[in-house]
Amino acid sequence: MSATVLLARRNLGRNRFRLLASVGGVALALSLTLALDAIYAGVANQLTTYIERAGADIWVAQSGVRNLHMVASSLPTSIVEEVSPIDGVAAVTPILEVTDTISAGDERAVVYVIGLPESASMGGPWDIVEGSAKAGPGEIIVDRGFAARAGVTIGDTVGVLGGEARIVGLSRGTASLVNSVAFVSFADFQATRGGVPVISFALVRVRAGASPESVAADIERLVPGVTAQSRTDFIAQERRIVTDMSAEVISIMSVIGFVVALVVVALTVYVATLARRRDYGVLKALGARNRVLYRVVLVQAILSVAVGFVIGLAFTGLLAFAIGRTDLNLELAITSASLVKVGLFAAIIAGLAAILPIRQVAGVDPAVVFRRGAPA
Amino acid sequence: MTAVTLDVRGVTKRFGDGETGVLAVRGVSLAVEPGEIVLIMGPSGSGKTTLLSMMGALLKPTDGSVHLDGTAISELSEGRLPDIRLRQFGFIFQDFNLLSALSVLENVAIVAELAGLKGRRARDKATALLTDLGLGERLDFLPEKLSGGEKQRVAIARALINDPTLILADEPTANLDSKIGHEILRLLRAIAKEQGRSVVIVSHDQRIRDIADRVLWLEDGAFKDIVTMATDPACGMAVERERAVSAERDGESFFFCSRGCREEYLGGLHTDGSENGRGLSRLIRTATETLKNAHGR
Repeated sequence: MSATVLLARRNLGRNRFRLLASVGGVALALSLTLALDAIYAGVANQLTTYIERAGADIWVAQSGVRNLHMVASSLPTSIVEEVSPIDGVAAVTPILEVTDTISAGDERAVVYVIGLPESASMGGPWDIVEGSAKAGPGEIIVDRGFAARAGVTIGDTVGVLGGEARIVGLSRGTASLVNSVAFVSFADFQATRGGVPVISFALVRVRAGASPESVAADIERLVPGVTAQSRTDFIAQERRIVTDMSAEVISIMSVIGFVVALVVVALTVYVATLARRRDYGVLKALGARNRVLYRVVLVQAILSVAVGFVIGLAFTGLLAFAIGRTDLNLELAITSASLVKVGLFAAIIAGLAAILPIRQVAGVDPAVVFRRGAPA
Repeated sequence: MTAVTLDVRGVTKRFGDGETGVLAVRGVSLAVEPGEIVLIMGPSGSGKTTLLSMMGALLKPTDGSVHLDGTAISELSEGRLPDIRLRQFGFIFQDFNLLSALSVLENVAIVAELAGLKGRRARDKATALLTDLGLGERLDFLPEKLSGGEKQRVAIARALINDPTLILADEPTANLDSKIGHEILRLLRAIAKEQGRSVVIVSHDQRIRDIADRVLWLEDGAFKDIVTMATDPACGMAVERERAVSAERDGESFFFCSRGCREEYLGGLHTDGSENGRGLSRLIRTATETLKNAHGR
């Protein structure tokens, strides 16, 4: 261990309370930012789960529609016949989709209602815990979380799309913090719209070896009035909606976390430096160069922030794990982008926090060694 | 021609300007030879520490120059001084000035590391030196767990770790009891005589005269010739007999730093009665020391 790191570590370690306050403050401030990022990333994950798990390689929507949340897409049913013969297309499934509420007794919840044809090879529930995976006329498949909250089960009826449907299946992994996904028959859904021959989206599976992006481009080129996106692009667009909606909140909380962490580290490193002014004077008198002493201060700040960052990360990880074990429809997803952002925050905090103490050290007179008992 | 380790030439130090300015050191010259022990004594405020700071390149003289092994260190830029302090000087302080966060071994090894020795080698060298000084069992102790004598030995080890030419010691025995103080003095003498290092000591401790090759008396910022000292019985301050305010009582002479002290002392004797006054006079010993002028030796 170099002299610089040794001295920095010992200077920090000599006052446990100060170290605890410094590291704890940084951990708390950074975990605030990390947790908030994780919550939003979790929500984005949940909101895109249906797109991810529907089984489609390409989503074909009304021209200009690039995501699922808070938009409406309407296409003629003939789209299916227009898309099917395009080179690279293996299968096409039309779906109807709308954001509605589902109710049972006093329990109401927001749902994406998906209308699926009987022969659908895509777009259905992917994890059925009880009952059927297919909804026939007058039937519905709901998320088991909703069923549990509403106190309903297979065979019970729920209100949906202005009518009622009997629960025939309970799915898992289809709920998020803000909504869940319910599946009804295509015919029932179409009937609520007066039998108009339209669909919301055409889900496309490509042939083995075909590129979804390239096939999507072909669909857009050959079929007028549609926007076709690969699953990856569609998910990215959906995530962007969440990010755009949450950007301000995340920015504000990040700034708060940043400032809190900066103030905590700056103050503790400053106080630690002030308390050791005489030691710095002694080191100067013994021949230590200023830059060596600056490094000691900087390493102190970096160590405080690094340990705080690791503790903050561990705390957020534990929080994510604990929340995952509860019935809350909340997922905390710690992303690499968030880690890089918060890590960068931490590095900047360490650098800024060291500035004031470094100025203190620069001003220490080495002749302090001869001033007996007096503070430097 | 005799080799000179430290050569102080007409050094003056002035703090502040104009009427409020203070001349702490006035045209002091001094040459220290290899292996020589020079003791600088003098009353408080006489400029000893200022002179020591200039010798140690911690303070720039206003006038004059300080040369170490032929290099005018007082002329060097601030950027070059750390290396000189690190490799050419060993400092020993009254308050020891050990780094409280570091162990005994680390306190010594860190100075070697600052001089460029890598971690393991620095620690090995520090361990050997501390063991030689009888601190082999205390390597992992924090300074706060050591006695005064042990702390000073750690400070000496730290001063020696980079093999300096010159040791500068500021009141090295002031915080030590008599026995330990003697041990430290023997150690300093061995460092000078066996290792050939020059040692300059600033102190009030009369015992150090026993090991010093030369004793200098600094007063009002300048070296003085032979003086006879006495202790003011009222305030305890060391005063020059020739320049002090004096009084006779029961055939005994008393010397004071000021008329105020004389009045206070004599007034106290009158108030307390002559019996008590004689008792006090028995207790008060006039410390007389004839200090030889450094240039005379």
